[in-house]
Amino acid sequence: MNYSFDFQSVTRNLGPLFDGLAVTLQLTVAANAIGLTLGFVLALLLMSPWRLMRLPVTLFVEFFRCTPALVQIIWFFYCVPMLFNVFLGSITMGILALGFNLAAFNAEAYRASIQAVPREQLDAGIALGLNPVQRILYIVLPTAFRASIPVLLTNGIVIFQQSALVAIVAVQDLMYQAKSLATQTYRPIETFSVAALIYFAVSFPVTQLVDYLERRRLAVAG
Amino acid sequence: MRDQPAAPLVSASGLQKSYGALKVLKGIDLTMKPGERLVVIGPSGGGKSTLLRVMMGLETINGGSVTLAGKPYIRAGATPARTVIDIAVRRSIGMVFQHYTLFPHLNVMQNLILAPCKVRGEKKAKASERAAALLSRFGLGEKLAAYPSQLSGGQKQRVAIARALMLDPKLMLFDEVTSALDPELVGEVEQVILQLAKQDMPMMIVTHDMWFAKNIASRVLFCAGGVIVEDGPPEQVLGSPKEERTRDFIDRVFHIRQ
Amino acid sequence: MDSLDFTVVLRFRDALLQGLSTTLELTLICVVLGCSIGFAVGLARTSTNLVLRNLSSVYVEFFRGTPVLIQLFWIFFCLPLLLGIGLSNFASGVIALTLYMGAITSETFRASLKSIGREQYDACVALGLPRWTQITSVVLPQALLRAIPTLLSNCVSLFKESALVSAVGMADLMFIGSNISNNTARPVEVLTVVALIYFVIAFPLTRAVTVIERRILQKLVTWNQSKLHFVRLLSQEQEFDRWLAGRRTSSF
Repeated sequence: MNYSFDFQSVTRNLGPLFDGLAVTLQLTVAANAIGLTLGFVLALLLMSPWRLMRLPVTLFVEFFRCTPALVQIIWFFYCVPMLFNVFLGSITMGILALGFNLAAFNAEAYRASIQAVPREQLDAGIALGLNPVQRILYIVLPTAFRASIPVLLTNGIVIFQQSALVAIVAVQDLMYQAKSLATQTYRPIETFSVAALIYFAVSFPVTQLVDYLERRRLAVAG
Repeated sequence: MRDQPAAPLVSASGLQKSYGALKVLKGIDLTMKPGERLVVIGPSGGGKSTLLRVMMGLETINGGSVTLAGKPYIRAGATPARTVIDIAVRRSIGMVFQHYTLFPHLNVMQNLILAPCKVRGEKKAKASERAAALLSRFGLGEKLAAYPSQLSGGQKQRVAIARALMLDPKLMLFDEVTSALDPELVGEVEQVILQLAKQDMPMMIVTHDMWFAKNIASRVLFCAGGVIVEDGPPEQVLGSPKEERTRDFIDRVFHIRQ
Repeated sequence: MDSLDFTVVLRFRDALLQGLSTTLELTLICVVLGCSIGFAVGLARTSTNLVLRNLSSVYVEFFRGTPVLIQLFWIFFCLPLLLGIGLSNFASGVIALTLYMGAITSETFRASLKSIGREQYDACVALGLPRWTQITSVVLPQALLRAIPTLLSNCVSLFKESALVSAVGMADLMFIGSNISNNTARPVEVLTVVALIYFVIAFPLTRAVTVIERRILQKLVTWNQSKLHFVRLLSQEQEFDRWLAGRRTSSF
């Protein structure tokens, strides 16, 4: 290997990279806000006893889960303005595309953990004389929410990584800045490595936290 | 061994085993002559299963050593992780566990011939022949192609015994092999072990079944608090124990004091 | 807005199918290579060898902790510079997605390896099985069965992530789709059809995951009769509780 590294070309230009990181974080936080709330509503609708209610929601969720995020984002950026004659600014569009994607995945996470609440818990609720609404409020939701936290966190960090895709539609996030810096400086190795490290530095603590939570949950269960 | 008939089959000295701060074995000395059938009884947590697992080479130890038929087998090292276990010697011991531990993805025949084919390089045809003979002796002649999930607990345990015997062990270890069985299935498994006893197979048995202990043992150990409290012939240890703790335990098991 | 005209898509049917076949080919190659790497790395992560364990952890954590797009760019732009050789689009796509697949399936295999009971390993030792036989005859078949549902959803993830190779100019379904969409100025029709093609393949697979998961769960329960017995006892107890609860509520 006879490549001579020059990390200074990157360190001199950390400014744009951190601007990009700020955009990336903004996208992530806003998408998570949508994902956590809309996802919960979708989960409740998914379990609705009315077929007519369930069907469109199921379609929505499955569509986002079964197509590439890249396709969704490009579709969103090109088609929504044409179909509905609105364009909300590229960052807002990015937030919405990522947020809907996350909502679909979170809806599944919520649904799975709500359905995993053990039958005995509900029986105990009946035995204690709680009415159906009370049983959902005091027994199902707290248990389910706690059980879904690791998956929600994982989904949240996945969307942080997926947010790099908006660079392809020219949102100036970390990925976009890295790409243009690499072209300007002719230093792709150094630039992409530093950008990857920045992504990693944000994701890693969260994945470690998830692992810790999982281990603790297993230890309590076992 | 022909020259020295009195040479011990197993000789363990000063065996110590801890799990963290918990001392499970506190220095166990034990010799076993060829042809002896040792039954280990005692309260739960007294160290009897751990003793068997150590004998099988499944556990590291904190102190002591074991020889088998005069060959060094297990020796404690500076740390538990440094425990030296002679793998070749270990292969001459067979063990049957409480929870069957058959390989669920293999049928009965495959379970039996896996080790002989892979460990000793035996031909598949020859191993299958031996396996079939062994299984029909244990009343399982029709179950060769069955999977473990299609067998009753008693049948599974008999298969597990046959599987261990396929390697012609010099010593068999039985760890509470009937504890997980429904009461009506205990007899068939014990019969198989009694059958082995008639052929002078040396064995160490951990059991809670006092009737079985009395019938099969040539010697009984009472193990409690990580030490051997009493060691003697079955009539003595089960019938008129010398030690207070043994008497207490035996009385409670036989519900004499109500 | 003009009315939608899906006949545009029909004109480019062959090109889209060509792209789809590239996508499938890429996915298939990376599934095979990635799963093999994943199993080896999964074993390494449960190994007692500290060096092996740490190296494999670094690999997995790094690929889990960075966007696939940046991994792809890194391999596409940087690997040729470092190695001093040219890499085709296809080769860098294969390398990037294989490494990604290896990282995510290693986690799947690690979990399934951990779920194999301690007793199975004890039985291996008691039978004196050599390490290699333990892995190939006892551990791998059981781990594989437990891992199948998750592996299948890993494959779906890979299939979806493969759309990223369009960003480095590889002519997969996504790349051809966006080209057609740009050239015809009919993004709504073309991109919707592209999305539908992905959906039609991924959706049945995700459904299959659910069905297979249930089947395998049943199989695992019958595999362990002692556990089944335990479950049976438990359910009797629960029935009693339910009966008790029923009596209490009937007084309302």
